Amino acid sequence: MTNTKTAAKSAPKNKRPASLDRKKARAGWVFVLPFVLGFLIIYLPIIIESIRLSFYRIKPITGGGFELLPVGLQNYQEALFVDPDFVKTLVSGLKQLCFDIPAIVIFSLFMAVLLNQKMFGRAAFRAIFFVPVILSTGLIESIDAQNIMSEYMEGSEGINDGSGESVASELVSAMDVERLFANMKVGSELVTYVTTMINNIYNIVNRSGVQMLIFLSGLQSISPAIYESCSIDGATAWETFWKITFPMISPMILVNGIYTIIDSFTSESNQVMTFISGVYEQADGNVISSAMSWMYFIIVMLIIAAVAGVMSAYVFYQRRD
Amino acid sequence: MDAQNMQKAPAVMKESKNKIKVDFERTPLKERLMAKFGSLFFVQKVVWFIFRLVLLVGISYVILFPFFSKISGSFMAPEDFVDVTVRLIPKHFTLDIYKAIINELGYWEAFVNTLVLSVSTALIQTFVCCVVAYGLAKFKFKGNNLVFLAVVLTMVVPHQTLQLSLFMQFRYFDILGIFSLLGGGVIESLKILPFAELNLTNTYWPMIILSMCGLGFKNGLYIFMLRQFFRGVPDELEESAYIDGSGVFRTFIQIILPLSVPMMITVFLFAFSWQWTDDFYTTLFFTTTKTTLMPDIIDIPKSLEMNYAGQNLYYAAIRNTCGLMIIMPLIIMYLFCQRYLIQGIERSGITG
Repeated sequence: MTNTKTAAKSAPKNKRPASLDRKKARAGWVFVLPFVLGFLIIYLPIIIESIRLSFYRIKPITGGGFELLPVGLQNYQEALFVDPDFVKTLVSGLKQLCFDIPAIVIFSLFMAVLLNQKMFGRAAFRAIFFVPVILSTGLIESIDAQNIMSEYMEGSEGINDGSGESVASELVSAMDVERLFANMKVGSELVTYVTTMINNIYNIVNRSGVQMLIFLSGLQSISPAIYESCSIDGATAWETFWKITFPMISPMILVNGIYTIIDSFTSESNQVMTFISGVYEQADGNVISSAMSWMYFIIVMLIIAAVAGVMSAYVFYQRRD
Repeated sequence: MDAQNMQKAPAVMKESKNKIKVDFERTPLKERLMAKFGSLFFVQKVVWFIFRLVLLVGISYVILFPFFSKISGSFMAPEDFVDVTVRLIPKHFTLDIYKAIINELGYWEAFVNTLVLSVSTALIQTFVCCVVAYGLAKFKFKGNNLVFLAVVLTMVVPHQTLQLSLFMQFRYFDILGIFSLLGGGVIESLKILPFAELNLTNTYWPMIILSMCGLGFKNGLYIFMLRQFFRGVPDELEESAYIDGSGVFRTFIQIILPLSVPMMITVFLFAFSWQWTDDFYTTLFFTTTKTTLMPDIIDIPKSLEMNYAGQNLYYAAIRNTCGLMIIMPLIIMYLFCQRYLIQGIERSGITG
C-alpha cells in the first residue's frame, strides 16, 4: 500500500497544487482498498500457488502432511499425451463452445427486442423469462444434468427406463426439417446447426437470462427520439432494426459475447470442467487437474482475446463525452 | 366528395353555454371499418401479434414445464411411476417424499444454516461491491485501470482452476505470515498466539473473508454492474454535496447509497440466490458432515429406498423434490423482488 500512497501524493507535485484532486485520489484508494487488499493477500498468492503447484507432484507422507517434488513440465505432458481423454474432451468442449455462443447471443438479443416492445402481459413474460437467472444455477443445474423426469413426462412412448434418451421428446424431428432445407438448397451444416439449436432450446433459454437482462438495459438506453425521427423518415421496422438498434446495441453484443464465453466455460455443465473436476477427485490426480485447468484457461483466454479483437473492430460507439 | 363536404357548413345540433354539438356528414361505418381492419398495415400487425404471442408462450412453457413436471412428480407414489396411464396428474396422491426429506435429511437444519450463510455473505458482498465499484467509477487515481483489470481477472479465472490452492489457503490460514511469526515459535520471545495457522475449513469464515474482499462467487460481475451504474449518476450531485461541506464518505453514504437502492436490491438478489444454490464453495470448504447445508440434503431417504421396476424414475423424482424444496424460498423471494430486479437492471444502463 505504501508505494501507491506515495504515487498518489507525488503525482500532483509536477502540476499545480490541486488539493481536491489529491484528496479525491486518496479517497478513491480507500474505496477500492478492500478489494486491493484481498486481491494482493488472498487472490494473487492463490493464483501463483496454483501455477506453481502445476509444476510439482504431491507426495503424501505417512505421518500426515505431504511433500512437494518438482517435476517440471511432466504434469502438462501427462495431461496432453498420457491421459487418453483430456485432449478429446478439450476439443469437443471447444467445439461446443463455438456452437453455443452465437446461439445464446442471437437468441437473447432476439428475446430482448421482443420483450422491449409494448404489449399485453409484458411484465408477466419478463418475470417468467428471468426465472432461469435465479433458479437454474449451481445445485439445480447439477440435479437437472441427471434428470430423466422431464423426458418421461414429455415422451409419448410409454415408460423410459432411464437408460436411453427418448427419441420422442425431441422437439423437432430433424428428418423433416432436413428435408425441407434440402429442398431449399441450403448447406447441410446450417441445417444441423438450426435443428440442434431448436432441440437445445431449453439449455439455451436457461443460459441466456443474464444476457437478456444486459441487452434489455442496453435497448432501454437508446433514445426514443432516434426511433421517432426514423419513422418520420419512413423507415420500416426491419430497416430501423439494422440501421439503428443493431449499431446502438453492438457494444452490448461484445459484452455479452465475452460474458457468455466466460459463463459457459466456467459453468458446471461444461464437459471440460466436469472432466477436470473428475480428475481432481481422483486420489493422485490433484496436480494434473491444475495443469489441465491452466491449459484450458489459456486457450479460453486466447479465444476471448480473438473474439474481443474481431468484434471491437465492428462495434459502434456513440460519442457522448 | 371531399370538396362538397368542405363547402357544407356543419349543422349545429345543440348549443349550450360552453358546449357545442355539431353533426358532420361522416364516412359510413363500413368504409371506416374497412379502412381500419382491411389495410395491409393492420393485417401485418395482427400476424406479428399472434406470432409474438405464440413464441413467447411457447418459450415460457419451455421454461416452466420442468417445474410443473417436478412438482407433479413430487406428489406421486411409487406405483404411479410404473403406471403407463399416469403422466402429469398423480393417481395416488402422497406427501411421503416431502415428509421423508424433512424428517430424515435434516431439511430445516440445512435451511437455517444456508440462510445464515447466504444472508451474511450476500449483505457483505452487496456493500463491499458497492464501495469498490464507487471507487472505480467516480475517482480518478493512478492505477484505477489496473484495479479494474484485476476485477476482470477475478471474473475470468474460473474458481475450479483454483480449488486446490483455495482449499490450502483456508486450511492453513495465515495473513502474510503474521500468524506463523507470532505463534510458530521461530522467535521464542515473539510467541504470542497459541497457534501457527488457523484451520478455517468447516466454518463460515472462508466465504465471509472472500466476500469482504469482493472475491466471492461472481463478485466481479457485481462490481462491473455497479460501476456502470455509478458512472451514470451525474457528477453534479456529488459536487453540490461537496460545496455544501459534506465529505467524500458522507456523500457516499447519505447521497449515493440511497440513490442506488434498486440496483443494490438487484445485486443482493443475485448474490443471495447464487450463494443459496452454490455447491462449489460449500462442498470445497465443508469437508465434514457436521454442518448440514443445502447440497447435503440431495440424497435418497432411507425409508424410501426400494428395488422395483420404476426405481430410476422414482429416485429421479426424489432428487427433483429435493431441488424443489431447495429453491422454494428463492421462488417466494423472486415473486416479491422481481420488480426490483428488472428495474435495477434497466436503470443501470450498462452500455459498454
